[in-house]
Amino acid sequence: MLSKKAARLFFLTGTALCSLAFVGLTVDTFSRIPAQTHADRLTPAAIRGKHLWDRNNCMGCHTLMGEGAYYAPELTRVYRRRGPEFIRAMLRDPEAMYPGQRRMVNYHFTPAQIDDLVAFLQWIDGMDLNGFPAAPTLNQVAAPGGGAMVATGDRPQVFNQLCIACHRLGGQGGAVGPALDGVGARLDAAYLQRWLQNPQAVKPGTAMPRLPLTEPQVRELVAFLTHLRPQVRP
Amino acid sequence: MKYESQRVAWWFFATCMLLFTLQIVYGFIMAFAHAGYDGLHAVIPFNAARATHTNLLVMWLLCGFMGAAYYIIPEESGRELHSVPLAKLQLGALVATGVTAVIGFHFNWWEGRKFLEIPRPLDFLVVADVLAFLFNIGMTVWKGRRFTTTSMVLFFGLLAAALLYLPGMIPTDNQTHDSYWRWWVVHLWVEGVWELIMGAILSYLLIKLTGIDREVIEKWLYVIVGFTFLSGILGTGHHYYFIGTPRYWLIVGGLFSALEPVAFLGMAIYGIAMARKGGRNHPNRTALQWTVGCAVMSFVGAGFLGFAHTLPQVNLYTHGTLVTAMHGHMAFWGAYAMIVLAMVTYALPNLTGRRLYDAPSAALAFWTSNVGMIAMTLAFGVAGISQVYLERRVGMDFIVVQKEIEVHFIGLILAASLFTVGVVAFLWNFIRCGLPAGEVAAADVDPEAA
Repeated sequence: MLSKKAARLFFLTGTALCSLAFVGLTVDTFSRIPAQTHADRLTPAAIRGKHLWDRNNCMGCHTLMGEGAYYAPELTRVYRRRGPEFIRAMLRDPEAMYPGQRRMVNYHFTPAQIDDLVAFLQWIDGMDLNGFPAAPTLNQVAAPGGGAMVATGDRPQVFNQLCIACHRLGGQGGAVGPALDGVGARLDAAYLQRWLQNPQAVKPGTAMPRLPLTEPQVRELVAFLTHLRPQVRP
Repeated sequence: MKYESQRVAWWFFATCMLLFTLQIVYGFIMAFAHAGYDGLHAVIPFNAARATHTNLLVMWLLCGFMGAAYYIIPEESGRELHSVPLAKLQLGALVATGVTAVIGFHFNWWEGRKFLEIPRPLDFLVVADVLAFLFNIGMTVWKGRRFTTTSMVLFFGLLAAALLYLPGMIPTDNQTHDSYWRWWVVHLWVEGVWELIMGAILSYLLIKLTGIDREVIEKWLYVIVGFTFLSGILGTGHHYYFIGTPRYWLIVGGLFSALEPVAFLGMAIYGIAMARKGGRNHPNRTALQWTVGCAVMSFVGAGFLGFAHTLPQVNLYTHGTLVTAMHGHMAFWGAYAMIVLAMVTYALPNLTGRRLYDAPSAALAFWTSNVGMIAMTLAFGVAGISQVYLERRVGMDFIVVQKEIEVHFIGLILAASLFTVGVVAFLWNFIRCGLPAGEVAAADVDPEAA
């Protein structure tokens, strides 16, 4: 039977060998992190953004690289999923962007701080994370921002980033506002244009926020939306 | 109990009870927010509740470990504690630091890094405080007559825990470096040196409660902590899958995490086998119940559920979802909360001189809290797995999925209420025993001394 001395030897040797291996792997990992995280693109703005991220405990609700709490969306790929304008509008006034939904604290960031946070999220978006987050595999229609946008490639980019956050199309997207399937048959181009430019002027008290859209983007969206007709089932 | 100075442990255990209660309150705040009732959002936003919930846990467990050490070390070393006033001062300072940190969280003062939210200036106070504690027990061991395996494992576990707090204080600009060092603290604590502390307390309790030969128990203690480090150190790799570190961590982390349940399984078998073999019927059956329960629940929560969640191909989808919360709750409960509660249950009659061993409320505390925790784990599991499928596999929007799974948080609240009933029963037993008093020799029901 095993003696106490042998048991102690097993403990000490195993611990020493594993610690050595761990330290060795750590040294090697640190030599590879700069390339894998594109540390050369880590601008002073992105670094300031990282510290803002920490100082306000964003991880206390969100996850980043899958780390944090599970109360608010995963933000690793938010830069490509929603784009910088959505992030800016969200940080300026979170409740205006997601009316009546799970609430986020308004931190009253200055425009410069918002730019820093956007730079930080843009840098995170460029990292090689060994395949995380994985693209959804169980749906025929790829999710916006989840990976390949096979069935959504014909939509304007601004639609896939901004509108889809609250509205659904083809079963994909948020559930804050109404679904947009067949909207072209219900609303005409002139109305949609006025609506997108200033929702409050068209329907006072509406939950729809005034989005940070440029004139060409409004035109692009109106053209796209007016072409959405109800699907005729044979 | 042989020494008057062991009584200082009571104050640590009382602090535990207080912080644990507060931790549960904050847990309810979060569960209600998840279920769609975030009425406290303006005062206690989710991130404040979350930081408070986890930091209170860490604080009360550390308090419990310290109390356990102040109880165990004098007896193992065969002398009075080096300094009782230092122990009391050190407890007061720790509580003051903790309270400051928790209040700070509510005013957006923190260092938003998961589990290490305590603001930097307070980190230094924590380090100084833990050094004072280590000095106190270190001096006791040094001046004592005996260096037992149990006290050595306990002391070095606590020392290593203090040292491993330091990597978390390395300043970084790169998020990957930040995460890398953060896990040195968090992982190497809970899946490394804390298991040393847990193993040492477990073996102390088994020696006392079963009357089995110390040599046998301590031999298996070495084997178990040997397996802990063999798997746990390189098992840190399961936190390095997807944070911008090389791909080889998927293999290293996956392989060694798969071995992590071995140590916990060993602990469970060890607890059960020793309890069955024990010839002596110690009157404090409830303490033995908590001790064996801890060994079993830590295997299920930390060992088995941890294993299921850290396989790289599973973790790709479950990483950063409520599945983590499922594993986390039962792991911390089984491994660390229960070992502290076992120690409290064992020590309390000796500290207070009131031998209230097998009250029905003590059995209620054990069974209700454990059944409640199992139900909570199931609720988190259903919510987490639904989230994984809807959000990660089907690609539904995060907020839409959260609405879908709100109902499971109602289930969680019900389960947590059951759990709370158990904890209240435990508190009732704690209060019933009263303040530390009585004669040292009269309180002694130590089989070794007999």
